[in-house]
Amino acid sequence: MYLSRFRFNTARPGARRLLSSPQSLHAAVMSSFPHLLPTGSGSGAADGARVLWRLDRNAAAEVLLYVVSPDRPDMTHLVEQAGWPAAATTEAPGWQSRPYIPFLDRLTEGSVWAFRLTANPVHQIRRKEGEPTKRTAHLTPIHQMDWLLNPQRQERGGFLICEKPADKRLLPSGTTHHNRPHHGDRYELMVRDQRNLSFPKQGPDNTSKRHQVTLVTVTYDGLLTVTDADRLRATLTQGLGKAKAYGCGLMTLVPLPAKAG
Amino acid sequence: MSVLTLRLDGPLQAWGASARFARRTTESAPTKSGIIGMLAAARGMDRGDDTELARLAALRFAVRIDQPGARVRDYQTARHQITKVSMPVSERYYLADAVFVAAVEGEDELVDLLDAALRAPIHAPFLGRRSCPPARPVRLGVHHETDLPQALRDEPWQAAPWYRKKHDRQPTVPLTVLREARLGENGADFLRDQPLSYAAEHRRHALRPVVTETVEVPHPDVQAAAMTTMRVPEHDPLAALEESN
Repeated sequence: MYLSRFRFNTARPGARRLLSSPQSLHAAVMSSFPHLLPTGSGSGAADGARVLWRLDRNAAAEVLLYVVSPDRPDMTHLVEQAGWPAAATTEAPGWQSRPYIPFLDRLTEGSVWAFRLTANPVHQIRRKEGEPTKRTAHLTPIHQMDWLLNPQRQERGGFLICEKPADKRLLPSGTTHHNRPHHGDRYELMVRDQRNLSFPKQGPDNTSKRHQVTLVTVTYDGLLTVTDADRLRATLTQGLGKAKAYGCGLMTLVPLPAKAG
Repeated sequence: MSVLTLRLDGPLQAWGASARFARRTTESAPTKSGIIGMLAAARGMDRGDDTELARLAALRFAVRIDQPGARVRDYQTARHQITKVSMPVSERYYLADAVFVAAVEGEDELVDLLDAALRAPIHAPFLGRRSCPPARPVRLGVHHETDLPQALRDEPWQAAPWYRKKHDRQPTVPLTVLREARLGENGADFLRDQPLSYAAEHRRHALRPVVTETVEVPHPDVQAAAMTTMRVPEHDPLAALEESN
């Protein structure tokens, strides 16, 4: 497994074209793997691992693409279209790739990490009795937090979102004014950067009518405790939630700062 | 020394320093005589009580222009309700939509006394003219152990939301302060609004030196926005991984 990073040169038209549509960006990411054939199983190797990617828009001109993949990617085409080709050397080709397995092996139960995850929080609803259910996005930060805080989702993912120490909370006990439990201020978790994406998707024969994909993505930042290292490894390499082809589901971990303030 | 700050906010205000007869002009900021008169009225002082007024008039005065407002002219042709006698036709000028913070500096006991008087005023305060009621409570706060410029720097910007929005980019706003000159200070304008007597038969005012300054006050909305817009946390997953190659 490899974790790779590529920085977009947002001033270039090529970068704008790719950033404007997760559909094109997915295609560009998938083209980084010479061994992946379009007639193959689709999204990755046979062992269930797949290519995951995520865009971190930290600032207007700091847009980073993270890719987790079974193979080492070759992002030369991205550098040429949307990077800094003249600055690329053989040592620093314009992107960084590092083996992910040593890091994954270091994960132990009970360790605490800071994480970032861009996901597509959805639920299935029916508006009236008898209607088939419909996948619907969570649109408020509270519901979006709820999606990630779902106990089954956390257990399956092999992690537990950390709770805030009492002295960092704004609400005394994390309850609403009706004394119902409320997670708004209870967990080390923030939801930000909601994007309501809408972009055309090409039909299978490339000429048929294009239909519009609509998607809500949000980025989570917070702290988690590893509860099941194997499951968390699977989460980190296979993704969490829906819309993995459109830049969702990739969670990355960083060590806590020397003294979390 | 303590400073008492007042918020002067209302749809109309009128602060005359040189207004006489049928043309009642207004300055662009509250006058000392207007504010001292308001405080004296809040304490219920008599108009002829010149010795007590001298104590109040010795307070040092400054005013901060939080929202300059617009000057409006009223061509007034009033008639008496009952006798139908026409009053003299007069021109009255007002400041519309202005907000000021006025401050008086003096001994602690006197300032506390005036603060208490504003909490329970004997005569209600008005903004320079009886027909100009304040929109919000006039009393703003008492600052102990400080001086006029510092108190006006500490006091938050009181302008209306629609006016604050016009300055929504800078973290601080420059506001004009008209401050009474210190003893022997140069470069002062003069305004005849130092009250000597409010007695009905002879109102008298002395010249008062005024220094114009600027203070920088934090913009409350920009600060609030900075608090609520979540910053992007640091996150560099590659740093946790060992170098390959």
